[in-house]
Amino acid sequence: MKQPKILLLVVIALLPLILVSCIPGGTQSARGWSGTAVDDGVIYVGTVDGRVVAINSSTQIQKWSYSTDPPATIYTTPIADGDLVYVGTYSGQVLALSTLARSQNLTFPQRGYGEWKWDCPKENAKSNAIVADLLVSEDTIYVSSSNGRVYSLDKEFGDQNWESEILDEKQRKLWTSPVIHDGKLYVSTFDGHIYALALETGDLLDWSFESEAGFASSPVIDEDTIFLGSFDRYLYAVNVTIDSDEPMWKFPEEKPAGNWFWASPVIHEGIVYAGCLDDKVYAVEAETGKKLWEFDAGNPVVSSPVLMDNLLIVIDESGTVYVFDLSTEIENEATPLKTTSIGADVRSSFCAQGSLVYIRGEDNWIYVVNIDMGEVSWKVNLTIEE
Amino acid sequence: MSFLDVWYFIIGNPVLNVLIALSHILGGSFGGAIVVLTIIVRLISWPLTKRQLKSSKAMQEMQPKIQELQRKYGKNQQKLQQETMKLYKEAGVNPLGCLWPMLVQLPIWIALYQAIMGALATTPESLLGLAHRLYSWDIVNQAIPLSSTFLWLDLAGQGDIILAIIVGGTMWVQQKMTQAPAVDPRQQSTSRMMLLMMPLLFGFISLLVPSGLALYWAASNIIGIITQYFFTGGWGYLKFRSPSQSTQ
Repeated sequence: MKQPKILLLVVIALLPLILVSCIPGGTQSARGWSGTAVDDGVIYVGTVDGRVVAINSSTQIQKWSYSTDPPATIYTTPIADGDLVYVGTYSGQVLALSTLARSQNLTFPQRGYGEWKWDCPKENAKSNAIVADLLVSEDTIYVSSSNGRVYSLDKEFGDQNWESEILDEKQRKLWTSPVIHDGKLYVSTFDGHIYALALETGDLLDWSFESEAGFASSPVIDEDTIFLGSFDRYLYAVNVTIDSDEPMWKFPEEKPAGNWFWASPVIHEGIVYAGCLDDKVYAVEAETGKKLWEFDAGNPVVSSPVLMDNLLIVIDESGTVYVFDLSTEIENEATPLKTTSIGADVRSSFCAQGSLVYIRGEDNWIYVVNIDMGEVSWKVNLTIEE
Repeated sequence: MSFLDVWYFIIGNPVLNVLIALSHILGGSFGGAIVVLTIIVRLISWPLTKRQLKSSKAMQEMQPKIQELQRKYGKNQQKLQQETMKLYKEAGVNPLGCLWPMLVQLPIWIALYQAIMGALATTPESLLGLAHRLYSWDIVNQAIPLSSTFLWLDLAGQGDIILAIIVGGTMWVQQKMTQAPAVDPRQQSTSRMMLLMMPLLFGFISLLVPSGLALYWAASNIIGIITQYFFTGGWGYLKFRSPSQSTQ
């Protein structure tokens, strides 16, 4: 009699742990959502198993693959620059990979080929993960880190030029990319600030902007105005020449949108195109914040839209590709020129070249969509088969 | 609609949103929000707690009668157990009644665990996933994302030994205050085992779950101790020696 009672008590006591383990929690594991980049006929992408892969877009054959060591999740979209490919990892490293050295599968880093690796200091932060895309300028790479600082690295050797102050003391997470404008680096933070840093030293400049809510998307800049989305469900336009915490405008004008503006907007001929997690794409006048048209995709728009000549390409989370012709007049509600579904979820950034759109699906496949034909031209599985 | 959707609709999302809203009201203190939520949960479960406390108080008052039974049927354990249970039944008292409030709180623990992990968004995927679970309240959206630091704790992190000791210690005190000493020697050993095992297990579990959940347990225990102290007018069985101890 005594043993079953004790057993019952053990089960009751362990019940919370058992249930907590069995029922899916609110957290999701870090899988990464590296986007695609195309350079000189080669597609570069980070995979969910921590590899950077180069695929020949003509032959659809993998040119090379580099496994991060130890394996690290990749959120950043690789940036190809000459013979080098730059990528940041969730384990806090920035890697410069030589396409020549990787094609020969040589040990990393091959300094003779210009390869290097930079380890982001963790300091007292919980993480030094690099989530935001790297910003590559002429001879410098700017890195936002989850330790709350921005770093400037020498593009040739990977040496650290400077580190900024901790910009987000509360969150210590910089998951948005900086942007350069007029010799200054602008960074948005989760605690609702936009800071201006000196490009050469990383020192905080006098100008800053403060909002009540945190900024969800990376800033983009056009002329003197920064456009970015916020967790308060507004799209902000902030003039960097005006020293005020009042934005130029907030969109929507009255009540907030149905969800966050997670993706960075794009600007074309004075119009801001912004995807929103409320399933819509909005076209807003850059000068005034007045809505020109909207389109309901029926699913959240997580990835930033891409512009190609007069075409606006939008992909919703369910993997449907919408193409809008911006040369025709659109009023109130837009109708896409073409619609194609890849049949896989999409959260990553994507790129377009010619009439092809290169997309990494959440299923770890690369899909190439021909927007003229309105179909998936070809696809490649990025998962290594056992 | 799947079970998970129903779960999030009824418990998961309300707990998450209330927690985030409280955090914003408390100047961004997520730990403070957990403590306030604990108080709210305690208030909601007050009828159950009150019943349990009444039962506990009744058991305290029954102790002279139990001791008398002990003297009377000390040599016949079966009879002693029967008579004691009869006495409990007559008084409408359940010696293991303290487990019910804990079981009732179980869905809250699970929702809280999910809310803590979801709200603190330790990974980019979690942060994005949060967008689909938030209400359109301004107070909620302005609070995102949250800081996981509270006092010395990382509320999303695990393995804080000080907090685990607090959870175990306060649980032991609370149980000791409410748990009437058993008369039957077999019951005595079970009660003693339970008195020790539950705090030890919860202390151990506190090392495995996010500190935010352990903070909830610690706060809940402390509130329980305070309520018990004022309701029963003292430390209850914490200062009470069992009949067998007193006869030794």
